[in-house]
Amino acid sequence: MSAGSIVARRNTLARALLYAVLAVFAILYLMPLYVMLVTSFKPLEEIHQGNMLALPEEWTFAPWREAWGSACIGLECSGVHGYFFNSIRIVVPAVLISGLLGAFNGYVLTKWRFRGHKVVFGLILFSCFIPFQIVLLPMARVLGILHIANSTTGLVLVHIVYGIGFTTLFFRNFYESFPDELVRAAKLDGAGFFTIFFRILLPASIPIIVVTIIWQFTNVWNDFLFGVSFTSGDSAPITVALNNLVNSSTGVKAYNVNMAAAMVAAVPTLIVYILAGKYFLRGLMSGSVKG
Amino acid sequence: MSFLHIHNVHKRFGETHVLKGIDIAIEKGDFLVLVGPSGCGKSTLLNMIAGLDAISEGELLLNGERINDLHPSRRDIAMVFQSYALYPSMTVAGNIGFGLEMRKVPKAKRREAIQRAAELLQIENLLNRKPAQLSGGQRQRVAMGRALVREPQLFLFDEPLSNLDAKLRVDMRTEIKQLHQRLGTTIVYVTHDQIEAMTLATRIAVMRGGELQQLGTPQAVYDDPNNLFVAGFMGSPSMNLITARIERHDDALVARIESPAGDVTLPIVRDRAALETWCDRDVILGLRPEAITDPASANRQDGEIFEATLEVALVEPTGADLYVVTRLGGRNINARMRPGASLSPGQSTRFAFDVSRMVGFDPESEARIRDDAAAAMGTAAQTETLGQNA
Repeated sequence: MSAGSIVARRNTLARALLYAVLAVFAILYLMPLYVMLVTSFKPLEEIHQGNMLALPEEWTFAPWREAWGSACIGLECSGVHGYFFNSIRIVVPAVLISGLLGAFNGYVLTKWRFRGHKVVFGLILFSCFIPFQIVLLPMARVLGILHIANSTTGLVLVHIVYGIGFTTLFFRNFYESFPDELVRAAKLDGAGFFTIFFRILLPASIPIIVVTIIWQFTNVWNDFLFGVSFTSGDSAPITVALNNLVNSSTGVKAYNVNMAAAMVAAVPTLIVYILAGKYFLRGLMSGSVKG
Repeated sequence: MSFLHIHNVHKRFGETHVLKGIDIAIEKGDFLVLVGPSGCGKSTLLNMIAGLDAISEGELLLNGERINDLHPSRRDIAMVFQSYALYPSMTVAGNIGFGLEMRKVPKAKRREAIQRAAELLQIENLLNRKPAQLSGGQRQRVAMGRALVREPQLFLFDEPLSNLDAKLRVDMRTEIKQLHQRLGTTIVYVTHDQIEAMTLATRIAVMRGGELQQLGTPQAVYDDPNNLFVAGFMGSPSMNLITARIERHDDALVARIESPAGDVTLPIVRDRAALETWCDRDVILGLRPEAITDPASANRQDGEIFEATLEVALVEPTGADLYVVTRLGGRNINARMRPGASLSPGQSTRFAFDVSRMVGFDPESEARIRDDAAAAMGTAAQTETLGQNA
């Protein structure tokens, strides 16, 4: 046997081992999702038989319908759908406004530099490192003064304030490498501050917009601490509702309904990843300047 | 009164003094090239004309109007950037028309103007493309189209050809020159390439270290340099600079130059009065390679030819010419001979010096030694007219 084929065989072996390890980890990570999905499609009696990993013998959508429309959360028995739309109402404006403000900050901090811009950026950056818990009490006070405590509007404000640090960081670093000559050319062409931003910079910022949306959407959607602290009852986001749903079941635990509700809560972030990821294009800047 | 006046313009970035009082004036239709090594402040000066950099001191007048504090878009100036700076998200048509759109030109009129500019630059078939889909030369044309379409009073070019490959650069250079001749526009053009400067300019401003070294026509800057820097910077291969001693032989004033084959003495005919005061002192003589030839190709009609026998050190054929290197005054000296001359290193041959083209420099101050000191300052007359406007 030649030396070459020994090396080749050793290589295949190493490859096989590598894939085996990867497969084990993939299965490990996918297991909870699998259990959640199969459980959510099983009737309760089947779950009580105890075989968690088995596929449903009898497929049923009833748990999903119940989770969406009739499960009891606290005293209210109308499912999680109201809270789902609460979360949408929070996440859409929070992501859009914090993203836009971050983009503006990035634009000003790179293309309209002023004395002390580094200090300002440093302070904004610092807000990324402030733990949630620290701002709970001051924020509660602010929301109280503004009369938007216990409302989705209040949560929108909280998430915008908390998000600006990150969105500014993203956009500033992106615009840092955006050629200044484009801004100068636009100035000579007669474009003003806002025109340059909306017509020149923003259309060329798709990659960083997508990054920002993914980041902000997941953070805001998955937030539990702010939701549970600043809202109650009808205005709670879905993460809080899910918690309440699981805790408020009396008597027999409806695992299938809980799982279905958890899936409902998880699906939007998954969709954002799948959709936005597709638009995560590279090389949008090529052609504007040399190279 | 001149069309564009740059009057005693200074630029300071904190402690650093980037431009130290620049005085330039050009007429309508002039093609002014700012040339100099990198860091000489030429791009800064251009940005100040455009209004992208503030003027620390001095005045900028365009068509009699002070434009120091005018916003870039109000100056009626268009600029072609080194990196082209095309808007990546817009089509070629969108790029060219953006300036008109910002000036609220109606759509139909805009389309017409875009079409006209595109035809002029032969890019009509590219109007719907995005910049990313264009080659370097095409991007260059679009960048020029964006400037042309607005029909501004003044065009600024910031090293527009430096990103193109050598052949395309020469082609585009010709096109820019043709465009200038056809449209009769006023252009300020920045480059570090002295050949670009020579071929394009009607006026050249040579700059170094934030100071204007010389302003004049390409021929004047080439034949009649103000100082050693201009002499060495302009021209390729560059001017021969030879250390020589000025002496008086009977009635004649001569320059004696050391050479391995015995000293060479060349008669002084140009700037004689000024060089006479340098008697028995060393000066630096400047002679272009084409002013040192073989006797057969010497220009005896316009020049004053003086011959000497020297040893050939090196032969460099370029096809069109034969550059012959010899030793004079302790330096390698380039002579341009006809390509047919069969010469080889070590051989002695006759060299013909056109002494009417010889210029002298002060080795200390590096300034030119010349008779007519007023004409010497190519900028002096300009400064005077400027003074009236200030």
